[in-house]
Amino acid sequence: MEIIFVALKDSLVLTVKLLCIILPLTISYEFLKHRQSAIEKKHFTFFGISGKGFVPLVTGIIIGLTYGAGIIVYSLRTSNTSRKEAFLILLFLSICHAIIEDTLIFVVIGANGFVLIGFRFALAIVLTYLIYRSRLFSAQLDGFSGKD
Amino acid sequence: MKYIVKWPQKNVIYCFLSIIMVVQNTVFLQMNSLYPTVKRGFLNGISITYKMVKVIVPCYIAIEFIKHLGLIEAISTFFKPCMGIFGLPGESALGLLAGYFINLYAAIAVITPLQLSSKDMTTIALMLGIAHSLPIETGVTRQTGVNAWLMLTARVVFSLFAGIVVNLVWKLFL
Repeated sequence: MEIIFVALKDSLVLTVKLLCIILPLTISYEFLKHRQSAIEKKHFTFFGISGKGFVPLVTGIIIGLTYGAGIIVYSLRTSNTSRKEAFLILLFLSICHAIIEDTLIFVVIGANGFVLIGFRFALAIVLTYLIYRSRLFSAQLDGFSGKD
Repeated sequence: MKYIVKWPQKNVIYCFLSIIMVVQNTVFLQMNSLYPTVKRGFLNGISITYKMVKVIVPCYIAIEFIKHLGLIEAISTFFKPCMGIFGLPGESALGLLAGYFINLYAAIAVITPLQLSSKDMTTIALMLGIAHSLPIETGVTRQTGVNAWLMLTARVVFSLFAGIVVNLVWKLFL
């Protein structure tokens, strides 16, 4: 019986710690939503991802796939991003998403945050760049887009 | 004569007044849009925490029980060969599986009582960060119209790959 109480207490302490991280984050997500339209207007490309595709990309990197799902799906469907671009965005996001929340949660229980962020960003960028440049990729999905 | 305000002073007073008015205006205008935003964020945070508690508390208690019953050694020896690739102790396989199939909070609840070292924690955090709550997030990727199975395999493969690489890099440099 004692084990249950000790476990209950410890798990609640852990929850409170996580709450202290999650609350500021969710509040800042809401602020970020207001700024969304400003990012959309900028014109540039980043490994084959254009300004339009940048909104789902940034949303995914900061918020994550579970909570940012609405914004990501909506903005990928409404703005006519090509299928190739959508693939690149999802590939980048599959490795590097929810970067703030995940990292902070693990730092609380004793991981090295710099290694986490650095490694994930580096891996995602290298992989996206390689796939973007590879001949296989451009041949495979060439029919779907007239870009580059 | 005494009561007439001189020109430069008048200017300064107007200046101050206008600054105060501008500040007040901006503060009040922002307050109108600030309050609902903060409130929405706060409520979201609370609802996420509620979801988290439902997962964390049972997982934590289950792991404490397993530890108490002494099953942890059996599990550890069972998973030792496959977790050895990532330089992790065998029992961390539980956390990895919980993270893959349930979600990140379940994984944290499982890992915390195991008391791993900083290196083990970083490795497992990286692996879980790349691939977690796969059933839910595969659903999201499917909705965007991209091949979901390809993404799923890519995530799992790169998560394992990242685990191996971090283990090697950490041994070499840190």
